[in-house]
Amino acid sequence: MLDKSKISSQWGRLSWFEKGCFVGVISVIVLAVVGPWIAPHDPYFVDLDKSLLPPSSEHWFGTDVDGRDILSRLLFGARSTLLAPLGVIVFAASVGTVIGTIAALNPGVVDELIMRLCDVGLAFPALVLSIGLASALGPSLRSAIIALALTWWPGYARLVRSLVLEVTHKEFIESAKVLGVPRRKIVFRHILPNALNAMYVQTTIDVSAVILVISGLSFIGAGAQPPSSEWGAMVTSGRDYMLTGWWTVVVPGIAISLTAMLFNLSGDALRVLNDPTLKQSRG
Amino acid sequence: MIRLAFRRLLMTPPVIFSIVTLVFFMTQLIPGDQARIAAGRDATIEQVEAMRIKLGLDSPLYIQFGQYLDRLLHGDLGTSVFTYRPVLTDLADVLPSSIELVCLAMIINLAISLPAAMLTAAYRGRRIDRTVRIFVLFGGTVPVFWLGLTLQNLFGARLQMLPIAGQHKSGEIVPRRTGATTVDSLLSGDFSIFLDSLTYVILPALTLSCAFIAVLTRTLRSSMIGVLDSDFVMVARAKGASNLRVLVRHALPNAAIPTLTIVGMQVGWMLGSTILVESIFGRQGIGSYAMTAVLQKDIFAVIAAVLILGIAFTLLNLIVDLLVPIIDPRLRRSHG
Repeated sequence: MLDKSKISSQWGRLSWFEKGCFVGVISVIVLAVVGPWIAPHDPYFVDLDKSLLPPSSEHWFGTDVDGRDILSRLLFGARSTLLAPLGVIVFAASVGTVIGTIAALNPGVVDELIMRLCDVGLAFPALVLSIGLASALGPSLRSAIIALALTWWPGYARLVRSLVLEVTHKEFIESAKVLGVPRRKIVFRHILPNALNAMYVQTTIDVSAVILVISGLSFIGAGAQPPSSEWGAMVTSGRDYMLTGWWTVVVPGIAISLTAMLFNLSGDALRVLNDPTLKQSRG
Repeated sequence: MIRLAFRRLLMTPPVIFSIVTLVFFMTQLIPGDQARIAAGRDATIEQVEAMRIKLGLDSPLYIQFGQYLDRLLHGDLGTSVFTYRPVLTDLADVLPSSIELVCLAMIINLAISLPAAMLTAAYRGRRIDRTVRIFVLFGGTVPVFWLGLTLQNLFGARLQMLPIAGQHKSGEIVPRRTGATTVDSLLSGDFSIFLDSLTYVILPALTLSCAFIAVLTRTLRSSMIGVLDSDFVMVARAKGASNLRVLVRHALPNAAIPTLTIVGMQVGWMLGSTILVESIFGRQGIGSYAMTAVLQKDIFAVIAAVLILGIAFTLLNLIVDLLVPIIDPRLRRSHG
């Protein structure tokens, strides 16, 4: 687990750029939480007189074809855009941790079986599965989340397995065994906390990957449905008006990209915080 | 080493079998009646029932699965209920153009990632390292579909430099040999059509490669940094090897070997990502085929498409895993 006091003492080691990334991620989350209250307009209010207005002081990011304010839609859509990846990752990471740990602690047949199962999961084309599931459960953000969660856990299982294996062979685990610490305690108190440290970094970076995939699913119609203002769905609804109103596509696209990038860079910064040797070798 | 290779080979058929099983039962979840779709909109109840018997849909699921496996082993992937053609023929039609797209995307990927990784590893921590990495990362966090639309808008609609969608000019006849337009036009010796078809594939390939460049550059950079810090590089430098020589002759080959595994996976993922790119650029390919198949509940076509993608991914990984010890003598020894 990332120690809070450790973070505050190491905050100073980060460059201004890395600090900026953390601040950026936090602001995005805050905006998603308070978005609906600070949005200047109703995101679903259709006013055809105001169709496709370019950015102005009244509508900072312009309006879409139905005359809805794009800034307000972005602020409202931020929640589902951020919560969906969170759901996927919480599921994938917990399932992956359990399965990966079981594999690492039971070398031999169990390990081999689980790893081959992961191979199957990884070989599965995630997008095809998601479209299939979307047509089975009806296209919605929920089916997109389920489909992605189902394809995302093998990656975590592999990662956790290798992390646990790495820790298991460290000296302090050996000495704990020699001292007669019960196996269960070794696993939960010594191995897992140390192994999972590196996993938090991966989850932060994965948020950015999942945001991209979910918005892609919404784009092809297998995710969030109109009139939802999930950002991927916003790009889709704007795509036919690209030539007359570029902002309907460009603005949500940049929002997705920027958010994904902030999470990715913060993951990198977390990695540095976690691993002091990295900071030195970067110097 | 031979034992390891043998074990990998032995493990591949069960993995592929599991993929088949999973997909087959998953397609049963897709709502809609296959027999009705196959019989057509105006079919009477009797016609639908006749079609059900003809397609073998009247028997229990496990028998259907057994029959499917039996046909699969004889190289029959079933008949598409939509095109009324063997799925295998359909796939053979669309696959080459996807391979064409993935190949070009991979070339772009390597052409950008290799120099970017060398540059950032050599100048790590400096401003040029930061700039290149941010640039590459930005490419990796841009949504694929958004990038596709923006490139279409910019180069196709506004600058009118490249065609927006499709595979070749309408009216242009390319004699079909492989199915990939660029290769076909070259084979028929028509260089102007070749250049033309290249302009059609360049935007989709660029769009497809962008996300992969970020991952490859990052992996290659960190493994190059590891190599650059090692003793033999210091020896090489002490012996007076130039910076460039150290990078190209010493760091790159050593760093490239672990990266090869990633490249193999990326080819598989690229094939899977063709769904988005092909639907945006209106290209025929396995991605757009899979998407229509799912939407039309064309079960055999869905299974076949997923199967091809899954098998391609598994085999690519297998090939890379077998290749790595051949290229890298150190691994050959350590695995006995």
